[in-house]
Amino acid sequence: MSSQTGQRALPGGEPLDVNDPRLSRFDIVREGARRDDIEIVHYEPQVAPGTKAERRLVRTVAGFFLLTGLAATAFLAIYIWWPWEYEPGRGGDKLYTPLLGVTLGVALLGIGFGILTWGKKLLPKEVSIQDRHEGAVPAEDQRITGETMAYMADELGVKRRPLLGVSLLAGLLPVGAVAAAPLVGGLISDPHKDDQMMTTGFAPRDGQKIRLVREDGRPIRPADISAGGQITVFPGVEHGVSNRYADSPTLLIHLREDDAEASRRNNEREGHGGYMWGNYAAYSKICTHAGCPASLYEQQTNRLLCPCHQSQFLITDNAKPVFGPASRRLPQLPIEVDAEGYFVATSDYTEPVGPDFWERP
Amino acid sequence: MTSDNDRRRGLLARLRGRPGAPSRGRRRLGAAVRLVAALMLAGGAYTVLAPGAAAQENPPLSTAAADGKALFDVSCVTCHGRNAQGVEGRGPSLIGVGAASVEFQVGTGRMPMARQEAQAARKPEVFTRDEIDQLAAYIQELGGGPVVPAGDNLHADGNVAIGGELYRINCSQCHAFSGGGGALSSGKYAPSLAPATDRQIYAAMLSGPQNMPVFGDNQITPEQKADIIAYIQQTLKDDGDPGGLFNLGRYGPSTEGVAIFLVGIVALVFASLWIAGKS
Amino acid sequence: MKRRKFDVAAVPGNTARAVDDRFQVATPLRRLLNKVFPDHWSFLLGEIALFSFIVLLLTGVFLTFFFEPAMTEVIYNGSYAPLRGTPMSAAYASTLDISFDVRGGLIMRQMHHWAALLFMAAIVVHMLRVFFTGAFRKPRETNWIIGSLLFWVGFLAGFTGYSLPDDGLSGTGLRIASAIMLSIPVIGSWVTAAVFNGEFPGTIIISRFFIAHVLLIPGLLVALITVHLGLVFKQKHTQWPGPGRTNGNVVGERMFPRYAIKQGGFFMVVFGVIALMGGLFQINPVWLFGPYEAWVVSAASQPDWYVMFLDGSTRLMPDWEITIPIGEGYVIPPLFWPTVVLPGILVAISLLYPFMEARHLKDYRSHNLLQRPRDVPFRTGLGVMALTFYVILTLSGANDVIADKFHISLNAMTWAGRVGLLLLPPLAYYVTYRICLGLQQHDREVLAHGVETGIIRRLPDGRFVEVHQPLSAGNGHGELDYAGWVVPKKMNRLGALGPAIRGFFYPIERPAEAPVSPGHPPVEPRPEREEITSGETRS
Repeated sequence: MSSQTGQRALPGGEPLDVNDPRLSRFDIVREGARRDDIEIVHYEPQVAPGTKAERRLVRTVAGFFLLTGLAATAFLAIYIWWPWEYEPGRGGDKLYTPLLGVTLGVALLGIGFGILTWGKKLLPKEVSIQDRHEGAVPAEDQRITGETMAYMADELGVKRRPLLGVSLLAGLLPVGAVAAAPLVGGLISDPHKDDQMMTTGFAPRDGQKIRLVREDGRPIRPADISAGGQITVFPGVEHGVSNRYADSPTLLIHLREDDAEASRRNNEREGHGGYMWGNYAAYSKICTHAGCPASLYEQQTNRLLCPCHQSQFLITDNAKPVFGPASRRLPQLPIEVDAEGYFVATSDYTEPVGPDFWERP
Repeated sequence: MTSDNDRRRGLLARLRGRPGAPSRGRRRLGAAVRLVAALMLAGGAYTVLAPGAAAQENPPLSTAAADGKALFDVSCVTCHGRNAQGVEGRGPSLIGVGAASVEFQVGTGRMPMARQEAQAARKPEVFTRDEIDQLAAYIQELGGGPVVPAGDNLHADGNVAIGGELYRINCSQCHAFSGGGGALSSGKYAPSLAPATDRQIYAAMLSGPQNMPVFGDNQITPEQKADIIAYIQQTLKDDGDPGGLFNLGRYGPSTEGVAIFLVGIVALVFASLWIAGKS
Repeated sequence: MKRRKFDVAAVPGNTARAVDDRFQVATPLRRLLNKVFPDHWSFLLGEIALFSFIVLLLTGVFLTFFFEPAMTEVIYNGSYAPLRGTPMSAAYASTLDISFDVRGGLIMRQMHHWAALLFMAAIVVHMLRVFFTGAFRKPRETNWIIGSLLFWVGFLAGFTGYSLPDDGLSGTGLRIASAIMLSIPVIGSWVTAAVFNGEFPGTIIISRFFIAHVLLIPGLLVALITVHLGLVFKQKHTQWPGPGRTNGNVVGERMFPRYAIKQGGFFMVVFGVIALMGGLFQINPVWLFGPYEAWVVSAASQPDWYVMFLDGSTRLMPDWEITIPIGEGYVIPPLFWPTVVLPGILVAISLLYPFMEARHLKDYRSHNLLQRPRDVPFRTGLGVMALTFYVILTLSGANDVIADKFHISLNAMTWAGRVGLLLLPPLAYYVTYRICLGLQQHDREVLAHGVETGIIRRLPDGRFVEVHQPLSAGNGHGELDYAGWVVPKKMNRLGALGPAIRGFFYPIERPAEAPVSPGHPPVEPRPEREEITSGETRS
């Protein structure tokens, strides 16, 4: 392929006889290109055979391939013999993945650069020009195809026999609906079943008030939280500490005296008097914006920050949003202490918990 | 709690051995200390109320506390006032914050503050370990409060699995899953846990410095604290990253996104420049 | 016994003939081998996406052998000690197993994730190239639409994919997704209940996401990619203007052998870079995040980078809630606008842009030659404007990390984002427009007056002028027409379109030394230095 240097493509015109024994292989290649409306205007080997430059390039390419073999072998050896099972600390197992990555990466890059060098440096450079033949579809062809299709439509005769069309439509439409029905119907689930969007695990059961419990299920006494402290609490029901009650996690906060005073005042104003017990207030941990746990409680400023979209709620003012995209305050859980000295929810939340939705009352 | 009492007993013994100390005062101090200890056992929630009686009487201080007072009077008094009663608009009262608070604030160099800011930042410590202990003793004797148990390794029998669960419920929202810290509102932030020692983490939980909520022993028991510290020290800090030599700061998708452009796309654009370039 | 002579050398030829007799492939195969592709580095950006998609398929199939898409609660008992004994979903436990108990599983997981990020990044970069060069114009509007759809389908693939491990971070993302669905007026709660089969999180979402992630979405991606490539093939690639290049031809290399070899090599390079990143850069360390629990969250919770712009728009949105006082009252929450309406608008604009531009310019011709961004200032301006908008949203998606690491107030970051989102895009448009005009003008000046030589001449009347080397023949100021291609602006680039200094990483030949002053003539070019032309042969 490299001996035809400098030859110019023959001017187009009569096709070559490819069976002519005098033709070289390149002539045939060029004739093929010509038949595809390609003119090879420039074809130039980059290295002369047998030169130093060629030998150097061949060595480079071979070097890349050998590097690949080496790296791939190393990959296999590491894969098989390197200690890979997790051990705490900074042992050799922490190097397993990096070593695999490096050896695999080097192996692949070796192949890549090997064949790239081969193609880029050792193969002849060329400039070919191919016609696009775009918009070459003659108007005549378009007309013929169009007429053919119109003719077929005429033959079907829907225009002349309108009943066919109407009945076909009337028949197919329900079939389409039949195809969609099982999927849609199977997926539909009533979001208001059991009033699930409005209730949480704290809804009293059989007249029994629900206790606030920790993540390990233990109930909580007022003395368990210091002033300026907060604790995540769950409904003390079966599976209360699980994602089955994903809307129930609540933040129980022990406010300092002054803050509690302000908080109580603001509670009264909103008609939430009695929601707090002593200096303790409980607010839903589920952000009213997008449902993340808003739980970055700043005990000095009494702000509660949601880490997802930075909504900030002022705990001492009914957890109303003071910054960010949230538009609704965090619902407050009315709490009291039962006869045994544990926190219970006086009732369920009095407003829906979690992100807003269309029919939220 | 036991170490707490030991320390207190030691203080009392030292006070008793001091010549010329009025016995009435001694008895009163003993009563106050017992009251403080009792309150701490009950939950520490009302410790704030206790110091009033003790502080007003100006009981004599132990040697360490007296040295601490001397340090306090030159370094802290500007903002925290005489007898650590606090100065309106400058520094809060330190009555009842306890030795734990001193250990955290001074031990991490946050105090003394260079200037008034949204939040005190960690700096190289100004005081030596001994001086910090003296300051802590002074504040402790002034108003009582939580105390970090003795020893430098507080997570010896911690269980990382339990600690991890507790960490994710109580700590990760501010300090992030990886312990790298995170932003709070209006310029405040939760610091990275990387430089924190066992004692500092313990002290922070006990005292609730700045905007951090208090996690007293009533809420998270000392054993659970050991679990949490074990998780932070062993898993978050000592455990190497199994997924690569570079952990991208463990900031999550934000640095991963930067990496894919700065490393992946840049490398491949260079490759394509080379491939399509004139040879 | 005389054995028939078996001619080994004739086997390929005979086989080929036998195949062609039955399938008549010779002519189409010749067409394929001969197809001419133009060569430019920016035409390879789309390939990065294609190749990472192949890596995604390979690594993804591996992962399905070990992943268990179930939300059944199990107690973890694998080798990762810090989570042992923790209750979690089977999906999360099997992800941990892939990371710690399947030999080589972690590198596969990480390569899969990095390949996904690279796939989306390459799509965006490729789209920018297509946009700024006007490659989307007639007849390629369909391919532009398919490309835009590929971004959004890839977005879904990514989201469903990183939700599968059911870890603390991805569960939070899923929670936000459910809130986004809830925010849709009228049907929101029904949509959410349908997707999650009841209340969030339910017990089925992971298996639904799994089938979407491993079958439905990849199927759609494969179909779209096939059509995308088929159309590139059918319509032939666009090319830059240049000598001999017209709207009616393609100047480049035939597909075989050189072009195909370059493609194959580039695939290996992309694969290799993904492998290196998968091994060297830790990504999504789910073992630190713990299982998803509705009450657990981390500071700096972000989605992957291509979703981050939606997170950013959500963070910047003011708390505007619309209440409709009918009956008991209805609500459109503020979440609806940045997460449903905004992407809707973005999809519509991106799909319709080629038609809007054609209508605006009243240009309904076919274009196969690309345009330099400077030649169409309004489009370039619009593109930079859109890019600025997108980048501000993406940065805002990480504004808490930025606030924390650079000690900026979080609230200030939010406000900067809000103000920036309104002010910076128009500013970017204006600045870009002016820069484009300036670049254009400079090109035309060079064409009119020639290249600046750096030689100052003093005229008899005392004025100083710079000597220009005219580009056109003759010595006058004969003006050349601007052809939409690079104009040589430095002396040593005269006569060559490519850089005159050969070599990619380091110069193969030393450039001629510059003259010290007009008094000292430049160093004579070395005799062996070759004339750089595009058409002549050497050797």
